[in-house]
Amino acid sequence: MRRRLAALIRKEFSQLFRDVPMLLILGWAFTGAVYTSGHGIATELYQYPVVVLDLSQSPASRELVSRFRAPYFKLVEQAWSDREVVARLDRGEASLAVVIPPDFERRVQQGTARFQVISDGSQSMTATLAGAHIASLAHGYSVERLAGAGGLGARRIPHVDVRPRVEYNPNLVETWFSSLLEVFNQATMIGMLLAAAAMVREREHGTVEHLLVSPLRPIELFAAKLVPVVTLVPLAVMGSVLAIVQGAFQTPIRGSLALFYVVTVVYVFAMASLGLGIAVVARTLGQAMMMLLLILYPMTLLSGALTPPESQGVFMRSAGLLSPVRHYVDFGYQVLFKGNGLAYVWQDVAGILVLGVALFLISVRRFARLVR
Amino acid sequence: MGDRVLAIARKETRQLLRDPVYLGLAFVVPLMLLILLGYQLSLDVKGLLVAVVDRDRSVWSRQYVDGFVNSEYFRLVARLDSEAQAREWIRSGRARVVLDIPPDFGRRLSANETVAVGVTVDGSFPSRGQIALGYVEAVSTLYNQQLLRAWLVEHGWRGGQVLPVQMEMSVWYNPTLESKNFIVPGMLVIVMMIFPPLLSALLIVRERESGTILNLYASPATRWDILAGKALPYVAVSFLDFLVIFAVSVWLFQLRFVGSAWLLSAAALLYSICTIGLGLVISALTRTQLAAMLATFLVAVAPAFTFSGIFAPVASQDAVGRFVAHLIPATYFMDVVRGAYLKGGGAAPYAPSLAALAGYAVVVYAIAWLALRKRVG
Repeated sequence: MRRRLAALIRKEFSQLFRDVPMLLILGWAFTGAVYTSGHGIATELYQYPVVVLDLSQSPASRELVSRFRAPYFKLVEQAWSDREVVARLDRGEASLAVVIPPDFERRVQQGTARFQVISDGSQSMTATLAGAHIASLAHGYSVERLAGAGGLGARRIPHVDVRPRVEYNPNLVETWFSSLLEVFNQATMIGMLLAAAAMVREREHGTVEHLLVSPLRPIELFAAKLVPVVTLVPLAVMGSVLAIVQGAFQTPIRGSLALFYVVTVVYVFAMASLGLGIAVVARTLGQAMMMLLLILYPMTLLSGALTPPESQGVFMRSAGLLSPVRHYVDFGYQVLFKGNGLAYVWQDVAGILVLGVALFLISVRRFARLVR
Repeated sequence: MGDRVLAIARKETRQLLRDPVYLGLAFVVPLMLLILLGYQLSLDVKGLLVAVVDRDRSVWSRQYVDGFVNSEYFRLVARLDSEAQAREWIRSGRARVVLDIPPDFGRRLSANETVAVGVTVDGSFPSRGQIALGYVEAVSTLYNQQLLRAWLVEHGWRGGQVLPVQMEMSVWYNPTLESKNFIVPGMLVIVMMIFPPLLSALLIVRERESGTILNLYASPATRWDILAGKALPYVAVSFLDFLVIFAVSVWLFQLRFVGSAWLLSAAALLYSICTIGLGLVISALTRTQLAAMLATFLVAVAPAFTFSGIFAPVASQDAVGRFVAHLIPATYFMDVVRGAYLKGGGAAPYAPSLAALAGYAVVVYAIAWLALRKRVG
């Protein structure tokens, strides 16, 4: 029996290695794709494009404008008319306009100055953040004016100063996060897709009948389909983490790579089992792909990578717990970025393991029923 | 020549209609995604878990912390005793933010001094960390304004403007700052980059796998006939997909739509031609359906999601990001879509984007033509 299984596994491996374009694509998925995704930005305020219409052209107005500085803001242009401001906002070249009235300087002295901020609300998350930043920026400017004005010595004003300290990623480098997320996403998608394709291909070509009349039991057949995926994908994940995430982007990896590897194997096993489960239902690769997306996207959206689980309603939060992706994302960042060990992540690991075994057994049973 | 194109298109249509599960899913999956994003899943960061180490325990510190308790952006999960404990809460993910209020907080504020509050943020999710810091800053600014008002009253303030410099903020295009108003149109762009190219990416390679491509090679159909015949029905499917999503977004979600539906439809048609063409290029260059699917995910879907500017302005990206953004059609379509839903105005501001989409279509089909050489083996 063992020899039968070995022969089948060998066949699966050679089938995989024969498709050279696909191997190249897989290679790109774990190198180039991870590298480019590190350059995208998600929802943070970074180099937010600002256009300024300064009708005052005074020291006070220049002082105010100089506070819109990097890394949060980027002055794209000094406008000279309302029309220009509107055009920049309409065309999306600027997301924020600062309009300073002509009498700004004089009114600052009197303590009655106002300036106008027009915010493009179409990307509401960054717009909200920008608003918060400008409010505190204007407040700081006012307090300095109040403290500085009025004769000798600074006046003392009660003030709470926020001293931020960021753990694990002091400069909030998005690249560290997004490159690793891309590796996780590739493991998820490729794990599912490779396993599903290995099965559907047999159905499309009609060779599944050959396998069915062979003395192999369904569980062996499934194991043979899983072995190449579970061997190769985790290795690619490790290579990508070491070469791109750590190597190219200089991301500090604090945790145990051995633990990460072992759990990645379990995770890929879980996702590949899910892929096989889909393949049992689908008749063509196209169908399999559609069903896969039907499952994949909700799982990814609920993974907690894009939006924090605590912001969701109770229903969505509980639904997320049924997704291996959610556990793996939490596990991955905790281990690699925070250096946490099993004591912290055992719940995630247990979740992946339980879901993986359940998915495998369900898929095998469905297949066995189909055979009979 | 037109006859041959139509004949191929008819064959593809028939094949597509023969598999209703496949075709049905191509409509159902995008809709489900939209409904999930439009109704259930909130992308707004709210209810962040915050813990407090209050070493002062005075009226002042309580007032300051109340600002966080009353904000929808935070949820106070614990009052802790030491910094070590706070670190542990961040490490285990039970808190994302910890406020460390020094013992002299109230004393210094009552003496009109500045006092520093330590704010520790979990940076392992950087954008969330930055949002958390921004919110902390906002809550603290509100508190500072209260303090300042009290101080001014004490120093003989006679009413009028509190701050010498005041900001007046107006929000355009999406005045209520609802994320749904930009996420759903954004997803329209992404979804049209997911499903149509995945469908068309299988078109040529499937024939190659099953060997029926030889029939096409042996036929008098030219490469143009084959490409056009295969693209036509799928462009129609993609455009139908667009119409369904558009209808759902405007009628079911009641999204703001201020622009021209005709302009948007024209752009959607151009975009469909681009995305189907992209799928055909991939299909002509790969040898197995699996490889074609993977390549579509990597070349079409992933860059659209990362670079088209769905969450943050394209101008915010670094040089590499902006370069990639201008290489993909999703960025140009996003410009038109966002404009049509939220900004309005005539066709003139969107002419460059429409031209870019048209240019992209020409280039993509030229590449597909080059890639689809009639050869055996």
